[in-house]
Amino acid sequence: MLGSVPADEVIVVADLEAGIGTLTRLEEARVDVTVIVAEPTPRSIDVAARAAAVAAERRQGRVIVVANKVTGDDDRQRVARALGGTEVVAVPLDAAVEEADRDGVSPLDRSPGAPAVAALEGLADLIAGHPGRGRPDVG
Amino acid sequence: MSGSGRVRVAFVGKGGAGKSTIAGTFARLLGRAGRSVLAIDSDPLPGLPYSLGVAVDDRPIPDDAVTEGPPGGPRWVLAPHLDPEALIRRHGRVCPDGVRYLQFGNLRGHVAALQKAQHAWSQTVSELDRHRWDVVGDLPGGTRQPMFGWAKYAEVVCVVVEPTAKSLHTARRLLTLSKSRWAPQTVAVVASKVRGPDDAELIGSRLGAEVLAAVPHSDPVLAGDRRGAAPLDADPEGDFAKAVGVLVERVLSLYPAAAKERS
Repeated sequence: MLGSVPADEVIVVADLEAGIGTLTRLEEARVDVTVIVAEPTPRSIDVAARAAAVAAERRQGRVIVVANKVTGDDDRQRVARALGGTEVVAVPLDAAVEEADRDGVSPLDRSPGAPAVAALEGLADLIAGHPGRGRPDVG
Repeated sequence: MSGSGRVRVAFVGKGGAGKSTIAGTFARLLGRAGRSVLAIDSDPLPGLPYSLGVAVDDRPIPDDAVTEGPPGGPRWVLAPHLDPEALIRRHGRVCPDGVRYLQFGNLRGHVAALQKAQHAWSQTVSELDRHRWDVVGDLPGGTRQPMFGWAKYAEVVCVVVEPTAKSLHTARRLLTLSKSRWAPQTVAVVASKVRGPDDAELIGSRLGAEVLAAVPHSDPVLAGDRRGAAPLDADPEGDFAKAVGVLVERVLSLYPAAAKERS
């Protein structure tokens, strides 16, 4: 399906299933950027490390790890250490996101100024090649 | 329910809803009560070891556990020197509270590498001595495996639901399991990460189903999760453990023979 999209005209953002199954089945070199989302727990970090290895092996573009729901720099460091050498963007644990999730609305609509939303704006800028407009905490 | 007095429960739900956390604790509490418990995980990236309190082990069930199956039958079957009990003795890991844990492996590359191990696992689960083992299963998040019959070993399927729109959406789909060809005898709703009675009521009313038990959001369990500690080790007497204890009691009450055994 990805191959049928005119890559010069459309930006495709695909949300894959949890785990690495879809990533292992994705044709090689089909995406420009693979964003791996990890919580700062051993379980989540383990899956992220496996996903990063598969993405690199299958040449799925630039790999960026989002350290999600972090509560401080310790959390971000824990993810960064385990994913050695990979770009890491920290997104803070944010009650505004939880509230939006409960109500089934986008955090961007509910709380556009929330810290987590700001971090994700930074991620989008980082990927789209406009560093500096947002302020991603990149390690 | 079967008259064996042994329970067969599977936990399903959206990713992140709390399935593995609840399933591992559920298995350990059964084990703590002196029952023989087999915890099984059909996720190729299993989360159950963390909530059982054992280290992650990537080794799959070895290929020599199976041999080619008969024409027209499954592609691989357990090797002649193995039966389900022997396979569990060899490859089932011993966890706290005496629980045995059986997974088919831990994915590093393509899932095809685990094919033989998956056959060994499936045959073991389906031919298990149902008078000996309580079975507690954890499935990957989402609807795919449950809808393809991966929980068919279970008599009770617990749909774990957070009070979020996404989790409720997945749960609605999963509740249709009761009308599927794999329908278990009971499909129950377990409210997860609730912050008060309102949350459990909301889940029940949105799903139009009774909530079998409500398991609270727990900061100590969350903190344990961050350092890799199982819920029962992070907060042995906390509200989370108590709530899962209530769930154990309610599931056992669905089994008259198990209830008689306890009295």
